[in-house]
Formats: sequence, structure tokens, C-alpha cells
Amino acid sequence: MDDQGKTLKYLVAVEKLAEEIINDKREIIMLDKRRNQNREAIRDLSKSSQLKCWVTVGSILVKHNVESTITLLESDQKQLDVDINKLRSNLKVKVNSLRDLEMQPPVPSLMLVPISDKETEGLSRAGLFSCKS
Amino acid sequence: MASLAAAQVQEVRSITRIERIGAHSHIRGLGLDDALEPRAISQGMVGQKMARKAAGVILQMIREGKIAGRAVLLAGQPGTGKTAIAMGLAQALGPDTPFTSMAGSEIYSLEMSKTEALTQSIRKSIGIRIKEESEIIEGEVVEVMVERSAGGGGARSGRLTLKTTDMETNYDMGTKMIDSLLKEKVQAGDVITIDKATGKINKLGRSFARARDYDATGQQARFVQCPEGELQKRKEVVHTVTLHEVDVINSRTHGFLALFSGDTGEIKSEIREQINSKVAEWREEGKAEMIPGVLFIDEAHMLDIECFSFLNRALESETAPVVIMATNRGITRIRGTNYKSPHGIPLDLLDRMIIVPTTPYSHQELREILNIRCEEEDCQMSADALTVLTRVATETSLRYAIQLITTASLVAKRRKASEVSMEDVKKVYSLFLDEHRSEQFLKEYQDEFMFNDGGGDAAQMMEVAQ
Repeated sequence: MDDQGKTLKYLVAVEKLAEEIINDKREIIMLDKRRNQNREAIRDLSKSSQLKCWVTVGSILVKHNVESTITLLESDQKQLDVDINKLRSNLKVKVNSLRDLEMQPPVPSLMLVPISDKETEGLSRAGLFSCKS
Repeated sequence: MASLAAAQVQEVRSITRIERIGAHSHIRGLGLDDALEPRAISQGMVGQKMARKAAGVILQMIREGKIAGRAVLLAGQPGTGKTAIAMGLAQALGPDTPFTSMAGSEIYSLEMSKTEALTQSIRKSIGIRIKEESEIIEGEVVEVMVERSAGGGGARSGRLTLKTTDMETNYDMGTKMIDSLLKEKVQAGDVITIDKATGKINKLGRSFARARDYDATGQQARFVQCPEGELQKRKEVVHTVTLHEVDVINSRTHGFLALFSGDTGEIKSEIREQINSKVAEWREEGKAEMIPGVLFIDEAHMLDIECFSFLNRALESETAPVVIMATNRGITRIRGTNYKSPHGIPLDLLDRMIIVPTTPYSHQELREILNIRCEEEDCQMSADALTVLTRVATETSLRYAIQLITTASLVAKRRKASEVSMEDVKKVYSLFLDEHRSEQFLKEYQDEFMFNDGGGDAAQMMEVAQ
């Protein structure tokens, strides 16, 4: 009986974590979708010559100043970038702890800090990366 | 003309398809279970249970990174599976752990000093993992629109529509992006990636949804799935490179082409120091991981006293690989000195080593090994032929018996038999001499050979030396 309880607990833990990972992935997609829509909006607004524009807030349309709309969208964009990056970094930790629960070795070098762009460029130009990937 | 070229290509392919079968090609790992207990016959390994178990423990230590800077010596008579165990260890470590194999006598034949050769092989056995990260936009092209300005002044603008299975979006493009899109001949239906930092466009292939757009497609057409998820992705690639590769790239006189030609020459120690400090910096910042690999030196008794003292010193460095040596010598002279020592290795180095002995195979094990080799060489052998071969292996040597497998199977093919019979084995046994019979023959007829000094002492001395 005790054994069964243990198994159940274990399964719940695994399923919970797996569900979280899937949800995070979906969330990233949603956020990226919004990020792209915002980007399109900023682009269109900066091209338009009008002073006012219509903004949807929930289900109502609001007439708003173009300039302040752009700053609004841009700050939203920044927040989105931060959120996506946060989700992505947390995803790594979650994946590794899920693998730990499932008795699998962690993904090798998942937590490595990436080398800088300059170093990447130098090394790939020297042919160190191209022959492997 | 084209058909001729095609025929040539065909020919080239058929040559590469003939794979040579090496002496240890049947080995796939150490043949251990999860508790590190050796299975009797597994992954091409037979017998040598104690040595394999020891190798398993060493394997575990290597994986945990605990053994770096120590050495292992595989000692045993000729033909007792020393090289096989080292190969098995290499296979079990997986492709990600650097494994360098060299013969002790190799250091004398290279166009560089002995210590340089050793340093290079040591650095070949140390890997570092580094991660490359880039933000990319990946999607299937829905539409590319390019508007030329009326004046023809070159100022063009364009619009690119990309989609994944989850979303779709537009990008406004400037002149440069349009140019590179046109250069890559990107059109609707292509799956592309755009590097956000560099703007480099990479064509992955055509989307499956567009597979029926045309009746005839070129050879290069490659079909891929429409990407899933978000458009703007973070791509992380982990590269495993060896220190030696980094050395070669940074020694300017040769450049990276030396990596492929193998002609690296000597590498200056300043360059190595620079690279060491760079790698140390990366490790401190969490940008690189060190993977101590394995350096396997076969016939270690061929190294001389200078190499041994160099190795002794090199093992102390914090970035040293696991050095595995194999030797078949007993108490013998250390090369380059007049002193005798066990295994021909100086006592101070021997002191640092874990010594794993291998013992001669039993009758039953020999039979199993021969059976595995028969399978590896695609040769059907009857049971009594195998018994005869096993006898041959016990009385002469395992290597000689393995040689007979291929030759006997060729003889069997000559008489169009599907199976090698006892007669075939007997025939090749009479055709090819083993070392003992060859020696006997030489002793009998030595007067008739050239340069005979009459004594026949040379052979005697050789035997003692072994």
C-alpha cells in the first residue's frame, strides 16, 4: 500500500513537471506571436502620416496619439523579450530536473554560458565549427 | 559523356563500400551490465573477466572525471586482449569523449621531437565543450514581394511573409536583405533561417506542403517539414573540440588546413600557454567544460626514458588525460638506459599506475572468440572445423588461428562450398606456417640459407628477451 502511494506521488511529480514544460513552451509561442504582431504594428505606425490611431484594449477601441502608442508598444516589446528569455532559461532547469526524476543523465552542457559573438565568429572562420555541425 | 561520369561515380562508391575488417572490429564495448559485472560473452568481448571488470571501474571513474592525470597499465602476454580491452573502453566512452590511440614506436617516425609528439597526442585527448548561441528566425516563406522604386535609383523595399505551424508574420526589408534573398533564390515555399545578428540567410529546403507544385524537380530539391512553434528561436549548438585542434588553428604558420592534411609540425609553447590561459578564463566564466579523454599508448615498452620522464611530469598537470598503456613485456631493459625494470617502465612511473593484468584465454573462451571472428568475417564454419581451429589456437597462437579463418574460407569458396570444413582448415594449416613450425624449418635447413653464421643463436636470444 505504501509502495503504491510512493509510485503515485512519483508519477504526479513527473506529470506535473512535464505539464509545466509543455505549458511554458506554449507560452513562449504565444509571447513570440504577440512580439511579432507588436513589431508589425510599430512598423506600420511609424510609416503612417496620421497623428492619431485606433488601439484595441480588450474589446474596446480607443483613439490614441500615435507617438505615445509607439512608446507603449516598445515598452511592451521590451517586457516581452524579458519574459521570453526568462521562460527559456527556466525551461532548461525544468528539463534537467525532469530528466533527473526520470533517472536519465542531464543533457550535457545545457547550462554552459555561450561564448561571445566575436569568439564565435573567430572560431567559425577558422573552420573549427563548420566541419562538425 | 554524362553516363561515363556517372559510371565513374558508381565505381568510386563500390570501392568505398568494401570495408576492411580490422583485428578488433568486432568489439562494441566492454560487455558489462549495469552493476559493472562482466557478462561472459557480450559486445564482442569474451573472458578476461577480471580485467574487464577493472576496466569498467576505470570507465566509471573517467565518466565522473575522477581519474584525470592518472595512468593505467594493461599488462599481459601477447594475444590476451590488451588492445581489445582498450578498444572496448573507447567504444564504451562514446563518441563525445576524445580517445587517441597511438603505438609507442610512432614517436620515432614523426618529423618532430619525441616530446612534441607526446604533447600533441596528450592535447588531442583533452576536449573542451563550448556553446554557440544565436537568435534565428525560422519559418516557411509564404510570400516575397519586392518593389522597385520608379526612378530606378536602387532604393528598393520589400516585404517577406514567414509562417510556422503556429503563426504568421510580415517583415519589411531593406535593400541589403532583398539582395541576399535574391542571391539565395528564396521563393514562396522555401523553409529558411535568418540569423538575427548577422542577417545571414540559410535555405533549409522546400516545405512538404509544396511538394506537388511542380511535376519535375531538380536533384537538389530537399523537402522539410514546416517549422513548429515560435518564429524567433534561440539556437544553441554545443561544439566539442580538442585542445590540439585549437592549437593548430592558432599556430599561424599553418592555419586550419593543417588539421586535415595532418602536417602540423611543431607548435610553439607560447601558443599553447596562450590557449591554456584562454581556456582557463572560459572555464572560470562558465563558458567551457573540460572533458578529459583517454590517451592509449600501445607497445608502451617502445617509449624511452626521456618519454617516460616527460609523461611523469605531464601527468601532474591539472589538464591531463587518462593515459592507458599496454605492454607485453616482462622484466626488461628500459629503452635508453641499461637498467632493467618490470614491463620496461621506470619504477617511479609504474608507481603512479593502476596495473590491470590480462591472463591467457581458456580453451572454451578461445572457441568463442574464433566463433565471433567467423561471424565478423562472414564465414560459415562447421563445428568440427571450429574444434580444429581451437586446437590450433591453443597450440600455436590466437592470432595465427584468426588468420586461418579468412584463408580457410577462401579455400572453401574455391571449391564452391558454403561452409568451411575441417579439410579446408587442415589445408591452410599445411599451406601457412605458424611461428613454431617456421622456426623448426629454419633450424633444419639453416645451412642452405644466406648469411648463415651457423650458430642459430639469434633466434634463441630473441626468445629469452621476450
